[in-house]
Amino acid sequence: MRHETFSYLPELDDAEIEAQIRSILDRGLVVAIEHTREPSAYDHYWTLWKLPLFEITNPVDVLSELDECRRENPDAYIRLNGYDRRRQGQVLAFVVHRPAHAAVV
Amino acid sequence: MGSRASVGAVQAQERRLFAAGVKDYRETYWTPDYQPADTDVLALFRITPQHDVPPEEVAAAVAAESSTGTWTSVWTDHLTTLERYQARAYALEAVPGRDNEWFAYVAYPLDLFEEGSVVSMMASITGNVFGFKAIRALRLEDLRIPVAYVKTCTGPPNGIQVERDRLNKYGRPLLGATLKPKLGLSAKNYGRACFELLSGGLDFTKDDENITSQPFMRWRDRYLFVMEAVCKAEDQTGERKGHYLNVTAADTEQMLERAEYAKELGSPIVMHDFLVGGFTAHQTLSNWCRRNGMLLHVHRALHAVIDRQKSHGVHYRVLAKWLRLAGGDHLHSGTVVGKLEGDREATLGVLDLLREDYVPADRARGIYFDQRWASLPGVFPAASGGIHVWHMPDLVDIFGDDSVLQFGGGSAGHPWGSRAGAHANRVALEACVQARNEGRELATEGTEVLKKAASRSPELATALDTWREIRFDFDTVDTLDPVA
Repeated sequence: MRHETFSYLPELDDAEIEAQIRSILDRGLVVAIEHTREPSAYDHYWTLWKLPLFEITNPVDVLSELDECRRENPDAYIRLNGYDRRRQGQVLAFVVHRPAHAAVV
Repeated sequence: MGSRASVGAVQAQERRLFAAGVKDYRETYWTPDYQPADTDVLALFRITPQHDVPPEEVAAAVAAESSTGTWTSVWTDHLTTLERYQARAYALEAVPGRDNEWFAYVAYPLDLFEEGSVVSMMASITGNVFGFKAIRALRLEDLRIPVAYVKTCTGPPNGIQVERDRLNKYGRPLLGATLKPKLGLSAKNYGRACFELLSGGLDFTKDDENITSQPFMRWRDRYLFVMEAVCKAEDQTGERKGHYLNVTAADTEQMLERAEYAKELGSPIVMHDFLVGGFTAHQTLSNWCRRNGMLLHVHRALHAVIDRQKSHGVHYRVLAKWLRLAGGDHLHSGTVVGKLEGDREATLGVLDLLREDYVPADRARGIYFDQRWASLPGVFPAASGGIHVWHMPDLVDIFGDDSVLQFGGGSAGHPWGSRAGAHANRVALEACVQARNEGRELATEGTEVLKKAASRSPELATALDTWREIRFDFDTVDTLDPVA
């Protein structure tokens, strides 16, 4: 199974995830984290991890939220979203954690 | 009423008011002092007059013949106030570096056009003037559509943001492929080709414009097999998939019947060829798509007949503007690289006109008027024609995320087959997007990015070996003019 953007690349490591987060914040987008155990192409709403991270401007702080979400939901798929206020919509989403049984090959 | 004597008096008075005969167009329609109104439709024509005809007269003739004028004075002119309806040629400049070519600006009052009708605007502006004898050649270069008119049009049935939200696809261009061979596959084998590409990693597959409902593959059979392929690829990959089911047909009844069946089968998208189908049929389908939540992919067969020659016809930026008014969610719009014509800066201008809400005039991109779209949704530009994995860095750089990149031969031509070809394209795309987001320059570092990705993807490595030497280096026919 694939889960959209970056799912045809080898799993992103933490440094690569941080670089992507930096680009999201540099664009002035709002980051959010969401997770689910049963992803589906037709499911638009995964469970939101806290509120979107409106106040966060440092990629390291996003990573620490991500780690916390991973610890509490090790068997979930977790993805990062980017929201664009100006465009009034979501513009980014990519999976940053998969359960052990679902690693990308 | 009326004696023979009084009838004679009235006729004498009319003769004084109505001077029959031919008068120069420029007396009425060349108005260099005119200040265009915000509600005017503004047109820029490239005019090549016949020798010895002054450019003012030709510009005025274009304004006249595409609005209230005809070749001779007529008595019924005096039953209305022509000043209210006449178009006005209001500016004229020699085209830099071209012999006997002039840019003529013409302003049309809003009431000349029926609300929400691209057909009405086209008929007026491209009516008989293009065949006018006093003109050797005439090209409509650009058109400013006032907000007052834009707001009478529905525009794209869904738009870029709604499509992304519906399909859960964010932060990258979408990937498509036209099925090959274009003609001659049975419906079942066609569905197989579709399944291989979608399960390999593409988002969309596409009917070529030639595919409607021929003896070798009737539309209903094609739709059934293709939708099985779409659904199965979604099950296998966990991603939304679609096939542009071409509903272009001999009449609008059949067009709508095909669209209804596509919807019934669960297809997210249909396709229409807007120029050969015609704007009336297209508007009907666009309205139907809006009502039914269906995406609309728009092909452009015939366009190069109309838009390719520099001195005559209608520039594609105008056709693209009309399409955005009439509605479409994807539109083919030039590729820059690959096998089909498309000047880079002119193509970038068209991309802006399709996607942005406000496009300022920029002559270096061939855009002569500010254009406000007043929240009309944006259209995904589709790039296709002779493109393959080596073009990916340039395509991502030129087109950005809000685009559909279509690799037909560049997917199915992979030595291991369509699935591997699709996979290779998806890996290349994602590697380019990742590198771009990390701040790397795709225009200069693209080869390095592709090679690194290929080191971890045998599908991509093989694709890079296959298409290494294919280039399409020909001169552009329709070049932009230097900025004076």
